[in-house]
Amino acid sequence: MKRRINPDKCVACSTCVVQCPVAEVTSKFLGPRMLGPASERFRMLNAGEDDSLSYCANCKNCDISCPQGVEVSNINMLARAEYCRENRPSFRDWILAHGELEAKLVSYFPSFLVNFGMANPISKQILDMVGVSKKADLPKFASKQFPAMFKEYKQPENLTKRVVFYPGCFIKAYAPQTGMDLVWLLNKAGYKVEYPEVFCCCGTPLYTNGFEADARKNAVKNLEELAAWRKAGIPVLSLCPSCQLMFKSEIPAFFPDLAENMESTALDDAMEFILGCINRGELDISEADTSPLDIIYHAPCHLRAQGIGFPGLDILRLLPGVHAVNADAGCCGISGSYGFKKEKYDIGMAIGSKLFDTIKDSGIRQVATECGTCKVQIIHGTGNPCDHPLTILRRRLDKKTTK
Amino acid sequence: MNRKTDIVVVGSGLAGMSAALTAAQSGKKVTLLTHGAGTLAISSGCIDVLGYLNGVRVADPFESMATLPAEHPYSLIGGAETVREAIDWLKSVCRKGGIDMAHAAEEGNHTLITVMGTLKPSYLCPDSFNPDCLKDVHRAAVVTVENMKDVHPGLIIDQLHRYAELSDKEFMEAVLPCPIEHAHRNITPLDIARHVETPEGMKWLEKSLMPYAKLYPVLLLPPICGMKHSQQIWNQLCSALKVKIIEMVSIPPGVAGLRMRDVLKKALNAAGVYMVESAEVVRAEVEEGRCKTVHTLTASGEDAWEADSFIIATGGLLSGGISTAPGKAWESIFQLSLDAPADTEAWSSPDIFGSSFFASMGVKVNHELKPLNGEGNVCLDNVRFAGRVLGGYDFAAEKSGNGVALATGRYAGMLAGKE
Repeated sequence: MKRRINPDKCVACSTCVVQCPVAEVTSKFLGPRMLGPASERFRMLNAGEDDSLSYCANCKNCDISCPQGVEVSNINMLARAEYCRENRPSFRDWILAHGELEAKLVSYFPSFLVNFGMANPISKQILDMVGVSKKADLPKFASKQFPAMFKEYKQPENLTKRVVFYPGCFIKAYAPQTGMDLVWLLNKAGYKVEYPEVFCCCGTPLYTNGFEADARKNAVKNLEELAAWRKAGIPVLSLCPSCQLMFKSEIPAFFPDLAENMESTALDDAMEFILGCINRGELDISEADTSPLDIIYHAPCHLRAQGIGFPGLDILRLLPGVHAVNADAGCCGISGSYGFKKEKYDIGMAIGSKLFDTIKDSGIRQVATECGTCKVQIIHGTGNPCDHPLTILRRRLDKKTTK
Repeated sequence: MNRKTDIVVVGSGLAGMSAALTAAQSGKKVTLLTHGAGTLAISSGCIDVLGYLNGVRVADPFESMATLPAEHPYSLIGGAETVREAIDWLKSVCRKGGIDMAHAAEEGNHTLITVMGTLKPSYLCPDSFNPDCLKDVHRAAVVTVENMKDVHPGLIIDQLHRYAELSDKEFMEAVLPCPIEHAHRNITPLDIARHVETPEGMKWLEKSLMPYAKLYPVLLLPPICGMKHSQQIWNQLCSALKVKIIEMVSIPPGVAGLRMRDVLKKALNAAGVYMVESAEVVRAEVEEGRCKTVHTLTASGEDAWEADSFIIATGGLLSGGISTAPGKAWESIFQLSLDAPADTEAWSSPDIFGSSFFASMGVKVNHELKPLNGEGNVCLDNVRFAGRVLGGYDFAAEKSGNGVALATGRYAGMLAGKE
């Protein structure tokens, strides 16, 4: 069954056109209002698809800015799924969508070999030929991925409270230490952490690249596991804003039949959870390192779209000695895998330039953000160190870590 | 989650942003909740204080303000003095953000030129929109860019010639080549303004205007003189070309509105305002006439936002601040019922430029902008309303939308900041 979002809430006010980061830097994109609600009326008549459909980055700034509550980006993503049912996405898009599968394959080989294999000029040229920009810094596979790291880690005994961690594929393959930082913090707050290995990619890269059936398979598996933990009354936490958004609002929009049996498909936000631990006195921050530290914080678009504020920034601001400012400079331009694509790389960098300039002009070295690919883009665009707020929290609390 | 702050402002249009910035500047912790980006970004970026009174054009809005009815928002907050203070404050915020606002016209209101070729009274505009220089010349070029949507010099000139004060001027059509190749969409003034913000775009504009600048002392342009650095770009073009450039007021996206919103947003962040987007306030908890929390909808339930006082700047019917059903209208968060004619037919007027209930429906407030119940008593002691959600005026017929938004937003922020 074709799922449609009624476009008639749109009053054509052009607010999304003004706020769309892609439309701002390229006129190759038709723009959110025209591609979204306006074209949707023609799609209903089977009047064909616009050539610039692939230019929507699904960054959600149209939805964030819309005063009428039109799900512009979801209209675009549903249209892309429909288009890709008839028109197979490219090999390049398959590669970028199936990072989790690739991570699984490379986990059998030493990471230095894999990363050399990926980052050397010959491989980069080959990737460039299939459409992955050679100018982009692809994230590097960790020497040990999260499942292996978690298995080896000994959590303290006698922890009575329990939580479940949903890592998502970025933390699994590229940033397992961030996941382990959360485990450490939760242990310190008195929680034993469960990690069910059945949890798989949330489906965001699959769906946005046109692999609807694969995304659906993952959603089925993930929701089944989520429902079991929910029944047991144990919260399932996620660190990644894009995974959170997928569970919260995109799964119900893309696969309403899967969501209808559940009261809510949302994961819990690990940042909100840790903030709660601090407020309840479960996580004591009075012993934290107090040395002065300036931080410039970037709010990922997919966090802004959730309307919950910035719990990661709130945590940083609770820490003695830390002075954290909000960059408030819009989208970083990466949008998951968008900015890695050869024909989108320059668009992504042009979008991110405002953020890069804001960071450079601030004179602050340390950048913080929750999103893994935002982090890759910020480091690529500025050369500054960029970390997850919880990694910084752990560093300030854990006497054993080196600074 | 439940979070606490001194003041919660709802809405990020001109009223909400002015209220939040004013309160933050007085030392309060402010959270701004917004659902959508407000209408400032797509507006003209000019502040219409009062353009018409009972259908008659107003020369000086401050002189005419004294004759407004007692329930008009301007009258409630203290009239001309309060409004002037708000204007001066906005001018200083804009100056710090890089936009110089023009001096007031001698007669009071400026007569701005629009891309429709109409003249529009407005009190405060950026320097680049100031049309005064047109009075002293006989010839001007009306410029557009090839394939630009909604800016047609022929139409503009025909329209302008219908006004007595412009009928003897000689206008010439000028079409600049489009600097954006292979565009997949209609080019708007915003696209060109963003292009002109780049060094090559600036070079293109200067070079393309040069031949016309040699022939005409004044050039009328759509608002295309850059974005963040519009003031510098406009100054530089005027002096390099030895010409006066007037930017015309355009339809959405209005360009200058976005320039102003970016300035205000930056000022809010610098003042420490905690701005939460995608946050639709759906209800409030009220106890004994005081609001405890407002609640936003999230995918997994509701978030509660607690504060000592609240400023509601949610806009009118179009922006969701006011809800309606046949024969009745109410404020959306607190469900305050508004006086509405029972006969819905009477809500609109056959004269589309005349006054109507649709444009004037709104919350009844006292001189502190606190809401009043049917008996005329304050019904929410720590809640103030600002901007289009207010009743007692018709922003469309009066041309007073941004003026009321600014003055009431600023005033609500000042009162809440003092508590």
